[in-house]
Amino acid sequence: MTDHDDIDMLAAEYVLGTLDAEERAEVARRRRHDADLDARILAWEARLAPLGDEVETIAPGPDLLARIERRIDELETTSRTNSKPEDDTDDTDDTDGTAQVIALRRRLGFWRGCAGLATAAALILAVVLIAPFDDTPDAPPFVAVFQQDDQQPAFMLSVDLDSRRLNVRPVTAKPLPDRSYQLWIKADALGPKPRSVGVLNDDLSLPADALSNYDSELLKRATFGISIEPPGGSPTGQPTGSAIHGYLYPTDRDAVSQHL
Amino acid sequence: MHLGDTSPTPPTPSDHLHNLLRRVAQHDRRAFAQLYASTSAKLYGTVLRILRERGRADDVVQEVYVTIWQKAAQFDTGRASPIAWMAAIARHAAIDELRRQPRAPHEPEEALAHTPADAPSAREHLEHEQDAKRLHACLEALEAERRDMVRLAYLDGWSRTDLATHFEQPVNTVKTWLHRALKQLKGCLAP
Repeated sequence: MTDHDDIDMLAAEYVLGTLDAEERAEVARRRRHDADLDARILAWEARLAPLGDEVETIAPGPDLLARIERRIDELETTSRTNSKPEDDTDDTDDTDGTAQVIALRRRLGFWRGCAGLATAAALILAVVLIAPFDDTPDAPPFVAVFQQDDQQPAFMLSVDLDSRRLNVRPVTAKPLPDRSYQLWIKADALGPKPRSVGVLNDDLSLPADALSNYDSELLKRATFGISIEPPGGSPTGQPTGSAIHGYLYPTDRDAVSQHL
Repeated sequence: MHLGDTSPTPPTPSDHLHNLLRRVAQHDRRAFAQLYASTSAKLYGTVLRILRERGRADDVVQEVYVTIWQKAAQFDTGRASPIAWMAAIARHAAIDELRRQPRAPHEPEEALAHTPADAPSAREHLEHEQDAKRLHACLEALEAERRDMVRLAYLDGWSRTDLATHFEQPVNTVKTWLHRALKQLKGCLAP
């Protein structure tokens, strides 16, 4: 038997399901780096797939979808503070007081389905989109959209990771009498609590160098939020109004143009 | 559930699922709920047949849909139909779970009883009818025991050891038979 035969039979038995737990784990690991094995597995999946037509369809219990959605919520919430999707070593607790960390990976479209989230008076959602900046000079910078309700973006934040300069622009947000807006950053490297980036000026701008103390790797993994505070900013050094933080994550430019 | 739709007019069930998957890749929760509605009975049936316990099937199907949510962007149209891609995730998850914790001894007659002996007319989708016919013709060409082995493994999650016990053969013999059966199938299906 040749090596090719061996590999092909390994792929076939993996798909058929007859390998033991260790062998299965080994094949699952190996296929990630072994294109030949992966291709053989996919070929076997295709060959045997019609057998699956024989399976009787059975409706799951009525609450399973809700369970799945809760699980996805949990994962997306915790993954926001992990530096990388596969890095599970840092399990920072997200439930720090007023600041609720929400998975910003879920884009604008998702928020439209979540009326309940828009009820808190001071709620501002930050949806952060990140676009490839370094390899294409004319690509848009990293962009965050802060939504005050489900309808319109309240603010947009763009960050040029090379120069670490930021630009906050109000979209529908208006200056509030006796209230200030405050921008926050949260990242594993900064500890569990958000840090103030700055209190927005009366024209709702911020100095472009407000993020210059943070390195670009940190910024890429950071979450941002905007909260509504007493004039001059939070007296406690932490958000006192509800702030929802978003996580920067890579996306394609299509998504940016589609959603902005 | 569009899979049972007998009308072949566009959009095909596969297009429908493909659109949903594309939207799920964009983290569209509404599309995800629709995808679940369209596919969960198929995936649940697949997993439950292997695990035979609703509690375990619930847990596995939950993780399967989380995986689909996370990996929708990796779905490659060129390599599989949407339902085949999802069913493969479900089967692997169910078999992994079964290998981690095998269930009580099998009831082989029961397992084979709900395995149709030949191609069922009530197959769900028409798109892969040709492939299905060819596979079933090729399965028919196998010796009966080897055909049963392939079905019991693929559909019911039987391991080599399970098969060895039931067919009263050493595990190595089962492995040899399986390899012969698989090679024969591959040759038979080759264009």
